[in-house]
Amino acid sequence: MTALEAKDLVKDFHVRVGLRRINLRAVNGVSFTLTPGRTVALVGESGSGKSTIARMIARLEKPSAGSIRVTANDREVPSKHYRNHVQMVFQDPFASLNPFHTIAHHLARPLKLHGRPHGHDEVIKLLARVSLPADMAHRRPHELSGGQRQRVAIARALAPGAKVVVADEPVSMLDVSIRLGVLNLLARLQREEQLAVLYITHDLATARHFSDDILVLYKGRVVERGPADDVILNPQHPYTKILASAAPNPDARGRLLDIDPADVEEAGSAPSYDHYTDELSQ
Amino acid sequence: MTNPSAVPAAAPRGWRAMLPRRSPKLLVGVGLIAVIALFGVVGPLFVGDPATIRDVGLTPPGGDFPLGTTLTGQDILAQLAHATRGSLYIGLLVGVMATFLSALFGIVGSYAGGYVDEAFSLFSNVMLVIPGLPLVIVISAFVPADQRGSWTIAVVLAITGWAASARVLRAQTLSLRNRDYVAAARVSGEPAWRVIGVEILPNLLPLLASQFVFSVVYAILSEAGLSFLGLGASNSSTLGTMLYYAQNGFALQRDAWWWFVPPGLIIALFGCGLALVNFSIDEIINPKLRDVPKRGKQQNRAPQPAERPDDDVVLTVDGLSVVYQVGTPVHAVKDVSITLRRGEILGLAGESGCGKTTLAYAVNRLHRPPAEVTTGKVTFHDRDGTDTDILALKPAELREFRWSKLSMVFQGAMNALNPVITVQAQLEDVLTTHRPEMTKAQRRVRCEEVLRLVGVDVRRLTSFPHELSGGMRQRVMIAMALLLDPQVMIMDEPTTALDVVVQRGILREILRLRDEIGFAVLFITHDLPLLLELADRIAVMKDGEVVEYATAEQVYAAPAHPYTRKLLDSFPSLTGERGAFVRETSGSPL
Repeated sequence: MTALEAKDLVKDFHVRVGLRRINLRAVNGVSFTLTPGRTVALVGESGSGKSTIARMIARLEKPSAGSIRVTANDREVPSKHYRNHVQMVFQDPFASLNPFHTIAHHLARPLKLHGRPHGHDEVIKLLARVSLPADMAHRRPHELSGGQRQRVAIARALAPGAKVVVADEPVSMLDVSIRLGVLNLLARLQREEQLAVLYITHDLATARHFSDDILVLYKGRVVERGPADDVILNPQHPYTKILASAAPNPDARGRLLDIDPADVEEAGSAPSYDHYTDELSQ
Repeated sequence: MTNPSAVPAAAPRGWRAMLPRRSPKLLVGVGLIAVIALFGVVGPLFVGDPATIRDVGLTPPGGDFPLGTTLTGQDILAQLAHATRGSLYIGLLVGVMATFLSALFGIVGSYAGGYVDEAFSLFSNVMLVIPGLPLVIVISAFVPADQRGSWTIAVVLAITGWAASARVLRAQTLSLRNRDYVAAARVSGEPAWRVIGVEILPNLLPLLASQFVFSVVYAILSEAGLSFLGLGASNSSTLGTMLYYAQNGFALQRDAWWWFVPPGLIIALFGCGLALVNFSIDEIINPKLRDVPKRGKQQNRAPQPAERPDDDVVLTVDGLSVVYQVGTPVHAVKDVSITLRRGEILGLAGESGCGKTTLAYAVNRLHRPPAEVTTGKVTFHDRDGTDTDILALKPAELREFRWSKLSMVFQGAMNALNPVITVQAQLEDVLTTHRPEMTKAQRRVRCEEVLRLVGVDVRRLTSFPHELSGGMRQRVMIAMALLLDPQVMIMDEPTTALDVVVQRGILREILRLRDEIGFAVLFITHDLPLLLELADRIAVMKDGEVVEYATAEQVYAAPAHPYTRKLLDSFPSLTGERGAFVRETSGSPL
């Protein structure tokens, strides 16, 4: 049973460089399926296209090619109900809540928009699902800590009854000591409510522990995919190997000079325009 | 993530942030507006008919006529009251209409984007370049005098006065529409009109208020100008028409100051009041404009460098406390003592708000009011044997000291490069400031040297910053910090914004340079595993205090403080066990 199937996703951005218009392919033929109760991690560095994929799944960007199909109870979800099924948790909880509105507003609106009861009780129930006390409802975002805000953002994503949740670097803006709390919450919800989660991150360690499968993205393509432990502990692709060895590791003091600088430069440079010149003809 | 300006008392936000702070500026402004508005609204009820002609022309103020009379014996006080009402009426009308137009073209256009935005923007730009007052004069001149009422004038002024505001609102909306909370509202399925009206508009309120106030000032002044030229509303009485009649009656030549000074004064005071209110609104939009009351002066102490503990030490921080002198003083750094040895990498770890960046700034005396060093000493032990009390340096000495003895690489420094100047010019600039005796050729050689040190191709000297990748820019910043051969480098989250692979390359470079040149590094980051791998010793900060201070091996193997243990547990191991990660069990979340 699949919850969401993405097939051959392609996204081109048109960039003007001087007088020329350059076609920048941010995502190049990415396919994956999300299953209820399982988490797929998309791992990659900045410029690898992972956030673009998240935005396409959340329908904030239109794919240039390829398809996204959402199924519920083995039937395809019609386009106008897409957002009842697919929701997104954004990276920065300080930016994703409107400073002007109360927490209750942030939770009651999606309930109402998706035709569910949206009274005070429902808002409090939502807050309880993300382990927040009921008196949060009347507060405004600036009165909450980063971790509390991200819990509100998760509650907002759950409000329409979504079964597919895209979490775009949900903890990278949070202090380290509260990251695990938020990730554990997501994991619990995923387990209890059989959510299909797409977890987007640059952090290999949380990707390994939090997800069932990992897709490694490099310059818009999936270079390696497989069960989480296999990909991290026994990487096959050279890029995955570099990525795994570059992560800080307290057990390996003094190995800093062991990495070949040529590899680092080669694999680490952000995608630049010249990488895409071969695709200009398309 | 820490930012010294973020530490002071939490500023009110949400609804309360929309209200201006009570400052003298605001009180005076609101007072002026209130008095004049009251006079315009209530005044006409108490004064007589302003048009009554008497045979007491040009009576000076006093007696029956507190403000004197005109050439034809009309009561100036009565005229003033009615004229103020007329001017306020036009000001208000124009304010409402111009704000509406600018909101329509500025906000809706930029939210819709695409061709709508292009069209609206083009229209605003065209309206902007048409010189306002001449157009108003032309339009007014075309409308026959008997049809020129207040409304006509107000419409003409509104049409010529909205474009600049629309530009401002467009710029702000373009920034707001890309905020995550707007994207989140779209994902949850909000219709476009609600996104604009409920999510974006409230956050534009201060700006709208400011533009409204600006329009009112513009309208009252322009209307006065028009009326003075005889192109104003006919059959209506405004402050401008009063001035027009005073001019026609040769008030100035007849020394009848009481005829033209009162209307002029009211225009000036009302404009002044609105401008003061606008200042207060600006302070909401941009909190940096707020005056910070300065408490006390930096105490002038005699230089008293700390005792040099041993030759190996290059920097001693002794009992340093930094306090943000705001409403309730915030102790950002509490009695911190650390020493930095030559060639050592000292890691300073902690979460946002723990005071690590404040500490780094204070060590280099880069802290600004309201931050203030209350106690403690920072001593630099030079290679040549002299000791310097950094906190007691005079400004000129401090400029000399910074960068040449102790340099700094800031968080996100790679974005601090000037985008329109080549890398070489920016590097040479440091040399011309600190080493004026160097020749051009010597400077060039030194710049090439440091670039080679950080592993950047010397051909990049002629590049502009945007032609370099993020990692390369950060290397250039480190090269800049190396230029003067400093003995200490303070690095505040130098790799936080970079990808792990790029970060690895830069850390490698820092370690290699440390081995070759032998400078000491104070490395500030929230990433404890990184420090465990990189640093010789680690200080862990929490709430302004150093709670753990030991060698990296000790911190890793046997952390003494519970907070350190908690931090260590927060980083799941890449290759090891799951640790605190409770994915498989149904334990309760943190």
